[in-house]
Amino acid sequence: MKRYEDMGSMEMDVMREIGSIGTGNAATALAEVISSKIQMTIPEVEILGYNEAIKKMGGPESIVAGVLVQMSGEIEGMMLYIQRLDFINLVLEKLLSGRITGYEQLGEMEMSALVEIGNIMISSYINAVSKLTGISINLSVPGIAVNMLGGILTVPMIEFGHQTDKIMAINGKFVCDNKEVYSNLLMLPNVDSLNYLLKKLGVYHE
Amino acid sequence: MKICRLSGVLITYALGSCVGVCLYDPVIRLAGMVHIMLPNNMDSKSTNLFKYADTGIAETIRKMEVFGAVRSRMVAKIAGGARMFDIQGGGSIGNIGQRNIESVRKVLAKERIRLLAEDVGQNYARTLLFDASNGEGRIRSFGKKEVIF
Repeated sequence: MKRYEDMGSMEMDVMREIGSIGTGNAATALAEVISSKIQMTIPEVEILGYNEAIKKMGGPESIVAGVLVQMSGEIEGMMLYIQRLDFINLVLEKLLSGRITGYEQLGEMEMSALVEIGNIMISSYINAVSKLTGISINLSVPGIAVNMLGGILTVPMIEFGHQTDKIMAINGKFVCDNKEVYSNLLMLPNVDSLNYLLKKLGVYHE
Repeated sequence: MKICRLSGVLITYALGSCVGVCLYDPVIRLAGMVHIMLPNNMDSKSTNLFKYADTGIAETIRKMEVFGAVRSRMVAKIAGGARMFDIQGGGSIGNIGQRNIESVRKVLAKERIRLLAEDVGQNYARTLLFDASNGEGRIRSFGKKEVIF
């Protein structure tokens, strides 16, 4: 059984490819919903400790909106979509023709728009991955938290905490309308699921 | 896990479902803080004792005793254990915070350490500061007033 940190460049490439396909589909879905041009970066596969992961994504106390969906079935883990204020405003302008100046102004209507965007993107991501690999993945209903990034990232850290001190994130970023408006879509499979996925794709033999 | 004495502030950022445990011996003004992620250490080979409530608290007490703390004088303050996401049928995501809180309380009781104050549960992350000079705890969170406890 491979731990996250045992992954070689071959395995990383495969995960990056899976991420690309998922992220590409999620970008298309986002572009359709908010009728804007969306570009994506090639996803990075990151194997990070808790503190590193938080530092990399903007510091523990930075406030973000996170949409979380749990994966179950043949692949277990989480999908987490991290949105920041500039991205949130872009979405709200397109969908509700409104803007907010701070996270505390997010009302029920705005939150539900953000959850829905997250849900649509995560579903298209997973659909694409599922089709590519022939693996069936069930998704839970989405949940949202608007809070400190550190607190949000403890959720996957704790979920996998008995197996590992690290998380593996396939991190895709989106750029909207040529503006530097980033949001991150993370795929976080647990260790067993990572092994299953690699085996199923024929890159890992015991 | 961190320990400091006489002056200085221990801090742990953005506790979500994790629980921050502050231990204090007021006589020698020795403060310890440990960041608990999970309720029980089920793996005897685990390299990180401080991640779990049972082994983490016990080990922190042991370290503090090495620095001269006396168990009968020690008091505790805890914060964290939030439920960050409300997902229907989310299983462990929903209640891990609560399980952490309960386990921490149980371990403190078993170690015979008095729990002076707590700010736990609900649905937001907390940054916990603990002042070694007077054993005062402070909590910062998003959109809420700073809590002193």
